[in-house]
Amino acid sequence: MGIAALFQRLATGGRAATDGAADAASRVLIVGSPNVGKSALFNRLTGRYVTVSNYPGTTVEVSRGRSRLLGDEFEVLDTPGMYSLLPITEEERVARALLIEETPRAVVHVVDAKNLDRMLGLTLQLAEAGLPLVLALNMADEARDLGIRIDVKRLEEAIGVPVVRTVATRGDGLAELIEQIRRVRPVASKAEVDYGPTIEEAIAAVQRVVKPAPGLSARTRAVLLLEGDGEQRARLRRTGGDGAVEQVSRIVSTTGARLDHAIHYHAASAVKLQVDCLLAEAVTFPPERRTGVAEWLSRFSMHPATGLPLLAVVVYVGLYKFVGAFGAGTLVDWLEGTVFEGYVNPWVNGVLDALVPWQVVRDLFGGEYGMMTLGVRYAVAIVLPIVGTFFVAFSILEDSGYLPRLAMLIDRVFKKIGLNGRAVIPMALGFGCDTMATMVTRTLETRRERTIAILLLALAIPCSAQMGVILGLLAGHPWALAVWAGVVTGVFLVVGSVAARVMPGERPRFYMELPPLRFPRPVNVLVKTYTRMVWYFKEVLPLFLLASVFIWIGNVTGLFEWVVGVVRFPVRALGLPDEAAVAFLFGFFRRDYGAAGLYDLYGDGLLTGNQLAVAAVTLTLFLPCIAQLLVMKKEQGWKAALATSAFVLAVAFVVGFLLNGVLVLTGVQL
Amino acid sequence: MRCDFCGNEFDEGAAEKACAACTLLGGCKKVKCPHCGYEMPRETRLVKAIRNWRARRHDRSKR
Repeated sequence: MGIAALFQRLATGGRAATDGAADAASRVLIVGSPNVGKSALFNRLTGRYVTVSNYPGTTVEVSRGRSRLLGDEFEVLDTPGMYSLLPITEEERVARALLIEETPRAVVHVVDAKNLDRMLGLTLQLAEAGLPLVLALNMADEARDLGIRIDVKRLEEAIGVPVVRTVATRGDGLAELIEQIRRVRPVASKAEVDYGPTIEEAIAAVQRVVKPAPGLSARTRAVLLLEGDGEQRARLRRTGGDGAVEQVSRIVSTTGARLDHAIHYHAASAVKLQVDCLLAEAVTFPPERRTGVAEWLSRFSMHPATGLPLLAVVVYVGLYKFVGAFGAGTLVDWLEGTVFEGYVNPWVNGVLDALVPWQVVRDLFGGEYGMMTLGVRYAVAIVLPIVGTFFVAFSILEDSGYLPRLAMLIDRVFKKIGLNGRAVIPMALGFGCDTMATMVTRTLETRRERTIAILLLALAIPCSAQMGVILGLLAGHPWALAVWAGVVTGVFLVVGSVAARVMPGERPRFYMELPPLRFPRPVNVLVKTYTRMVWYFKEVLPLFLLASVFIWIGNVTGLFEWVVGVVRFPVRALGLPDEAAVAFLFGFFRRDYGAAGLYDLYGDGLLTGNQLAVAAVTLTLFLPCIAQLLVMKKEQGWKAALATSAFVLAVAFVVGFLLNGVLVLTGVQL
Repeated sequence: MRCDFCGNEFDEGAAEKACAACTLLGGCKKVKCPHCGYEMPRETRLVKAIRNWRARRHDRSKR
């Protein structure tokens, strides 16, 4: 943001700032999905004097500027990305609010000409809303290079709005676009979508209830009300009172009862069908380039009957064999057993003994819990090789395009337990880093969805480091690994289902575009793994060193022994040896640090297969790390963050206790 | 750059816009896809240097 814009924003108290009195009759709104070239077009149309401000009450930015090309009386607005008139994210809500509130002279819908099938749905909705619309087919050069032929005239006739080819980055088509912006008028009903007899009947009934209002057409408002749009409902309550809302609710419930799916599903299908007709009429695509095998494999990976066995193979080969056996077995044995235990630690202790006369200082760097002998050893010799191999496996999956397909597969399970399908994205991210994933939960629709997702992330989604170390720990005990996976998945499903029922809400809605499935490129895998390892090492090493310092302070003051003594009681209740109390104490700092502590105990032969399973389950379900706790506080406030943590801690110990009890009673040896 | 999750292509400027509301103020050293929210570690200077060097070599060979 420029200095002038900053002063202007301060002067207007952070409200959307405009250059002088903005005249609604000369306002031009640029709308469209993210990354279609809206900002490039906005920059072309405006110039240097642009203000960027948050939309009131949100963190969503809106850019405004006087138009250099249209004339100074025109104000151009660059709106946040939107996919549909029925908003899901805050950005979409703001974009729609601008469409309604700003009463624009013209609305330019910018679309990516290469992906018209995904873009024209919004065009139809905007046209149906009666907005003065111009359709800009941006990136027209790239579409042409790909062999996509668009008959602009036919498209214009079919939708009933002016259509212009543009290349915003070069300014191509700008003169024609400006001409159309000057001439455009609100469209007639030519572009109305046919929603089928049941919904059309309902639309007509709702239209009789809603009163005329500026902004969206009565038909669009009726469709949005039928789809359950909260803002439109609130608007109706303001203008028509509770009676009107009740009337609409009755129409919605009778219509819903006559349909086999939710109304918004049928409405979206009708729009998609109309888009397909438009494409068939006005667009010629090059011959399909996707190979049959890739398409078949893509479907195979998403269908529950075939996708779940494929997932089991991926977990077995990629995680169990590669991360567990190779990373945690071969690499850690060599680095920890040979390099650190054989050379580094004896050398560090020898140097300290020779140079430092004070035991207390020697303990800070060496000995049992020293920064070098514990902190660096855990980070370099235990966590890094395991996390490194995990990152290789993860990068291969990521580069192949498997992850979004996995998200679609998991989405089916999510829907069954009543969660929002969009929660798949933060959950998938949680396997990388729970802290970042907690922040991503803000993309979820409601507070209810966010609360459930944050709880599940804190409870049952292990981050990459923790999962890597636990896989390494259980690599020699396949049955213990199976019990761990089963119990953690079970806790996830049970807690998720219960939480979704305790906090009832709207049925989930999830849509995701799938990139093509492809063979992973070795260079990409190498770069991704290296980048992640550098990032992880930079983050984890200082924390591990800090933990060693805290332990040292605890040892010096006697606090460490006292706390370990207290933690011993719940640890004994889990059927674990007293020494495991230290690992759990480490776990309060970082869960992977705690898992590395268990790894040490296992190396010393102190844990049986059963104890490994119980300890791994309890530590996986354990408290979130400090960074995650701080983000939870930021997202939910202290009360909710502490309540979530207390719940998670209780569940971790109760599940661990029950698992130990079951194993003891049944006499099973893992 | 390309999102590793949804395959969406975007420039780092757009990614910074998606991070505007974040509490870590960019301290995480990650790039966030403005489309789906997926976060990827930012490329290290070494990787960027190698990429630039390869691009320059490619340009020279084309001339």
